[in-house]
Amino acid sequence: MAANYWASTQRRHWLFTKERLADLRESFRERDMAAHSQFPLPDQRLLNIYFSQQLIKLGKRMSTRQQALATAQVYIKRFYTKNEIRHTNPYLVVTTAFYLACKMEECPQHIRFVVAEARNFWPEFIAPDVSKLGECEFALISEMNSQLIVHHPYRTLSELQPELSLTSDEVALAWSVINDHYLTDLPLLYPPHVIAVMAIIVAVVFKPSQTSFHGTAAPLAGAMRDGGMNILTALGDKNGAGPPPRIQKLVGWLAESEVDIRAVIECTQELVSLYEIWENYSEKHCKELLGRMVKSKNLDK
Amino acid sequence: MDNHSSLRTQRHPHLQQQHPTSAYLDILSTLASPKSFLFNHQRPKPPPPKSPTSHPVASPTMDKAQQPSSFQQLEKLGEGTYATVFKGRNRQTGELVALKEIHLDSEEGTPSTAIREISLMKELKHESIVSLYDVIHTENKLMLVFEYMDKDLKKYMDTRGDRGQLDQATIKSFMHQLLKGIAFCHENRVLHRDLKPQNLLINKKGQLKLGDFGLARAFGIPVNTFSNEVVTLWYRAPDVLLGSRTYNTSIDIWSAGCIMAELYTGRPLFPGTTNEDQLQKIFRLMGTPSERSWPGISQLPEYKPNFHVYATQDLGLILPQIDPLGLDLLNRMLQLRPEMRVSAHDALQHPWFHDLPQMQAQLQQQQQQQMSGYGGLVASQQAY
Repeated sequence: MAANYWASTQRRHWLFTKERLADLRESFRERDMAAHSQFPLPDQRLLNIYFSQQLIKLGKRMSTRQQALATAQVYIKRFYTKNEIRHTNPYLVVTTAFYLACKMEECPQHIRFVVAEARNFWPEFIAPDVSKLGECEFALISEMNSQLIVHHPYRTLSELQPELSLTSDEVALAWSVINDHYLTDLPLLYPPHVIAVMAIIVAVVFKPSQTSFHGTAAPLAGAMRDGGMNILTALGDKNGAGPPPRIQKLVGWLAESEVDIRAVIECTQELVSLYEIWENYSEKHCKELLGRMVKSKNLDK
Repeated sequence: MDNHSSLRTQRHPHLQQQHPTSAYLDILSTLASPKSFLFNHQRPKPPPPKSPTSHPVASPTMDKAQQPSSFQQLEKLGEGTYATVFKGRNRQTGELVALKEIHLDSEEGTPSTAIREISLMKELKHESIVSLYDVIHTENKLMLVFEYMDKDLKKYMDTRGDRGQLDQATIKSFMHQLLKGIAFCHENRVLHRDLKPQNLLINKKGQLKLGDFGLARAFGIPVNTFSNEVVTLWYRAPDVLLGSRTYNTSIDIWSAGCIMAELYTGRPLFPGTTNEDQLQKIFRLMGTPSERSWPGISQLPEYKPNFHVYATQDLGLILPQIDPLGLDLLNRMLQLRPEMRVSAHDALQHPWFHDLPQMQAQLQQQQQQQMSGYGGLVASQQAY
């Protein structure tokens, strides 16, 4: 959103390498081995899916814009790069991230309304006292060093739409892919324009064909892998007959742009593996593990 | 809710009918920026020197390193709706700072205005924008540590000018700095929305900086409507007064124009008391706009077909001190139609600023002479 991404705090302070992120998480584990063995949690991405679904629930009644939900998801990620999840009440963090993101994206909600709504969904984890949310907001702002402006890929997508003459279907697909990328670590690893380009490629090249899209994610992941080969081939062989003109145009544009193609491919792979692991997602499982953790550690108090 | 959809969960044909297209079209139709920011993301800029300490986790951040006690609180400088500002002194370095203490309200958490100001100031670093050094969190309050500035432009005019009027060189220098600050905000897709002499800060070096970003907003976020309850009445653009909710960077230019005139006369150009009075004061001078001079104006919510019709006056008549080039620039800023207003970037290229370097040199000389005073006299005597 505001300000220039290249000079942004997002780029300067909230962009990690994969190794760095892994180290951070490992250091949390080492610092509190006991909690980690006592309270195993699902894969981070499965947890993210769970959090995102809770956010959508929260946002639904207040008809919150997608951008605010996206910002909230980024806040949750940033917060958990500095805090061990097992020392927090994730339901309060999710609610607070939502509340703060709504303020930042200029669709503010009253604190009482947010608390009431959250208690509606998770009465056993959210206290009726609104000051809890205020305190947690304070902590969230502090942990993020007041660096609250988040640049999202949606903007690049809308800017590229005319340039690449994307159809409304393609834009819609790319939009969904961007929504999905918040379930991975990608927002902490790559700049928004790389994500947007990845989403466009997925939408145009793989075009997960509308009809074959009823089943599980596996065919999608497969299609994306095959498509990935497609585009790789095309990039290597610019003069060959290769892929259809629509894709050739995109490839040509990519080659001319200064977008880091390798990063784009890595993002695509990240997304493929998200869709693969999604097969194992169970809302009930996440809920149980989190609930047990919060309750037995009294984190809701 | 369709734009929350996930690719993974788009399984049913009927769901696919509800693509985010409509939301997306909204976005396209409301992109507020006059110029395309296409590829803003992709222009590689030289990366800032990356030090290991810049990592958010690797080191304790500056924000936490300092406690409020590292600042000595001096006199109160002012009180706003959500904050009290004190003069302060860094106990270690002796440096003066402005401490903005934010009141926290249990019903609102951290005020949105404060959150907006802090987060924008974290991103906007420019010589014509007041620097935010630190944010200090304590048990129940939030303290922003700003660069210290001696006075705001209002007070400066009261104490410095001849009945509030400033000299040519100072006016030109202030306007140049003001427009540089505005241009920087606009390049970064930020609208200030509340420019007025009280929000422009001056230091002893004659620097002018934009402050108080409590009402500023990012206009990069595509939204349908902006709140039209912004900008102090006197500096508020006619399109905002007419109820337009799709305003853009040009509202800050209008304010800058009002401020420029005030620098010459020492009095606000359009001191309206109500929304209607404000519009009337503007029309009396700038002429009443019509559908012919401003296509689409009759569609604005506050437009009245029976506005009193005034003819356009010559701004030069009420600003006898202004030179023709300055008048030309002022007229370009005070265009009633927002799309006709000059951009901050173009205003900075205006010929009126061409002699600024010479004038600044003169200004500096004057200041030195004033400051050295007696010493200068001694030196010249010795020269004999």
